[in-house]
Amino acid sequence: MRRILAVSFALLFVVGLGLVPPASAQTREETLIYSLQSDIDNWDPPNSVLREAIILGYHVFDHLAVRDLKTRKVMPNLATSWKAVDDTTWEVKLRQGVKFHDGTPFTAKDVKATFDRVLDPTKKMTARGNHAKIKTVEIVDDYTVRFKTDGPYPLFVERLTAQVMQSDKVIREKGHEWMQENPVGTGPYKLAKWSRKQEHLLVRNDDYWGAKPAFKYVRVRIIPEQATQIAELLSGGVDIIKAVPPDQMDVINKSSQARTSTSPILRTAFIQLDQAGRSGKNPFQDRRVRLAANLAVDIDSIIKHVINGLGDRTSTTINPMAFGYDPSVKPYKQDLAQAKKLLAEAGFPNGLEVGLLGTGPTVEPGLIQTTEAIVADLAKAGIRTKQRFVGEVGPFTNLVRDNKADPMFTWSWGYYSVFDADAILFDVMTCDQPYSYYCNKALDDLVIQGRSTLDARKRAEIYAKAQRLIHDDAAYLFKWGLRGVWGISNRIEYDAPKDEIDRMFIVTSRKK
Amino acid sequence: MRLYIARQLTQLVVVILGISLLAFAILHVLGDPVLLLLPQNAGKAEFERYRHLLGLDRPLYVQYWKFVSGAVCGDFGKSWYADTPAFKLVLERMPATIYLTLAGLVVALLIALPLGLLAALKRHSWIDTLCTALAVAGQATPLFWLGIMLIIVFAVRLKALPASGYGTWQNFVMPAFCLGAALAPITMRLVRSGVIEVMNMEFIKTARAKGLAEGRVVVKHAFRNACIPVITVLGLQFGQLLGGAVVTETVFAWPGVATLTVDSIRNQDFPVVQCAVVLLALIIVSINFVVDMVVGYIDPRIRVGG
Repeated sequence: MRRILAVSFALLFVVGLGLVPPASAQTREETLIYSLQSDIDNWDPPNSVLREAIILGYHVFDHLAVRDLKTRKVMPNLATSWKAVDDTTWEVKLRQGVKFHDGTPFTAKDVKATFDRVLDPTKKMTARGNHAKIKTVEIVDDYTVRFKTDGPYPLFVERLTAQVMQSDKVIREKGHEWMQENPVGTGPYKLAKWSRKQEHLLVRNDDYWGAKPAFKYVRVRIIPEQATQIAELLSGGVDIIKAVPPDQMDVINKSSQARTSTSPILRTAFIQLDQAGRSGKNPFQDRRVRLAANLAVDIDSIIKHVINGLGDRTSTTINPMAFGYDPSVKPYKQDLAQAKKLLAEAGFPNGLEVGLLGTGPTVEPGLIQTTEAIVADLAKAGIRTKQRFVGEVGPFTNLVRDNKADPMFTWSWGYYSVFDADAILFDVMTCDQPYSYYCNKALDDLVIQGRSTLDARKRAEIYAKAQRLIHDDAAYLFKWGLRGVWGISNRIEYDAPKDEIDRMFIVTSRKK
Repeated sequence: MRLYIARQLTQLVVVILGISLLAFAILHVLGDPVLLLLPQNAGKAEFERYRHLLGLDRPLYVQYWKFVSGAVCGDFGKSWYADTPAFKLVLERMPATIYLTLAGLVVALLIALPLGLLAALKRHSWIDTLCTALAVAGQATPLFWLGIMLIIVFAVRLKALPASGYGTWQNFVMPAFCLGAALAPITMRLVRSGVIEVMNMEFIKTARAKGLAEGRVVVKHAFRNACIPVITVLGLQFGQLLGGAVVTETVFAWPGVATLTVDSIRNQDFPVVQCAVVLLALIIVSINFVVDMVVGYIDPRIRVGG
């Protein structure tokens, strides 16, 4: 036994020697520490669906266009301007004098190579679907590119904010596998070291063409457990954390170390009612029952009391931040008497019982509690729910896709960071889409019209009509637009980003 | 002895094969992995294209055969998310978990051996009662809660240790204690009962009768014999320890293989899960094999009889 102990100790000692702390040339003063709950799988943003990949991508790569966080408008970045030459051709002018981290200049060749790679159907790239409307990319000269699209493509400019520019030379010479771990971008930071599922060390790109970041180093630490993240924030181990649970806001704000910052985010939450009958014949195929459900629930009070005000009431599924949102459509007010009357008219004088499928709060904080509150309100009007719970997102989504959801199920939609009504209407509200339990030819027509014209005013009118229709038809049980909560150290200046994309290059030190 | 090893090795192959088949079957029951790999709005054609690229449109037996034939040569395929060999991903993370479990084991022994011995020698005294109470409390404490409490006290309030992370010896203290505290109670109880049992044996009386000092009787004769069940159980507990590592790694942001496995199951990243499961099974089976050998070494009766 003593021998075993001795061997274990010896092993541990050897192990300890092997664990030399990371070369800490950087001081805490010039280092910003950002924490994520889970790591990216690769450093090739078009080959990932994770939000973390989008966030980290913003630091090492640049996009042709970026969103201005104040106005939410899309502004030039690596592209200096763009215009629609005709209904199916976009011409984009590129910025001159930009260099990749390996020193090669950024030109039209890189734009073409980037899109060609993403669009190649034989390549395993997850972002392909985002750009499938683009048919070809043509080089006009070194700093001009033309995109040919398959029909009019009003979301073209929006989508430019979702594609990082990679280097033609790297794609040709280094290849796919190398690119998974070695990002070569034009962005404000370079990747210095990546310890998978542990930490990324980013170093400022001093040749950056744009504004220089205030911090020389950014460490991105992967801390899966929320309680640990908060402890790190309070003990000064990290500077920025996101997705703080509503009930932990006080803990952070009462410490002298850090504060919270909240912001509406581009995700709308609602409960789908199976109007299309995909789960089988059910009461929600009758408009009166859907309307009764909407009238039964006091959403305003749930926002206020259950999630501490961290939600913005919506009258439909359209997020207030999305293009096409119409504030003149007002949300339903609770009216139990009217709800009961409608149920009676629909043939349910004694109320009804219906299945409700729910999932865990992975993307929607407080989902379980708010669903309980909604269930209680529904019962008051006579809609009694039989709840079924599938915690993991994967299997839950599978059920929905395979027509195996219940007549009611919780759902939320993040728009894939496209600030446009089309990004939710098409995927979640038109006939025959995998995640839509609503089917209405009149709405389908409007959605198709909306994506077939480049005229912004016409599109706004179309989406206003669509919202009126969705609201009056009580398509789903409408809830709210989500708000995110960030925890921010008092040593820095930073505000919660509206598009959920944290940008360490705009963070500055707080003046003492 | 040679026959014994041969039989153990055959068993090992059967066990690993069985586990790989089970993992394969469970993964496929979980549902369609492409759903998580692609954006939800990717569209049907895109899903089909991807399924074909990953080979998921082929019959199950073809997929399983491809996995087994590759695994035999150490090729577990590439992670669907990282586009990097699964074997490399798992191997990269293996050391962190091994260090953590070893450290946990050492902490458990450091707590369990002295306390167990003390409790046995001072049976029915207040020390024994205290030790039993500690053991019950330790067994009942959820690892998760203990981890968070340690962080709050030592990192947030006292600022004595880093709350989480990996790389320095300070990072080791809390996770190792946490994991050790989970294993210590059962080990301590075993040491206690083992020592009590042995102390009543004839050979102890003989040792005493020879006029050996009590300390020498306890350490040299009683303790050595009491160790046998302890070592066996520690071997069996190793799987448990890996289970504890999942929680400990999560709480302390420890980049180990346990969290990698759980993450990969969640993502349905088949190649990584299969690789991790097979390798972990290999480790557990090997450890039990080593334990058998060690016990045989300490207690010749087992070697001969077995």
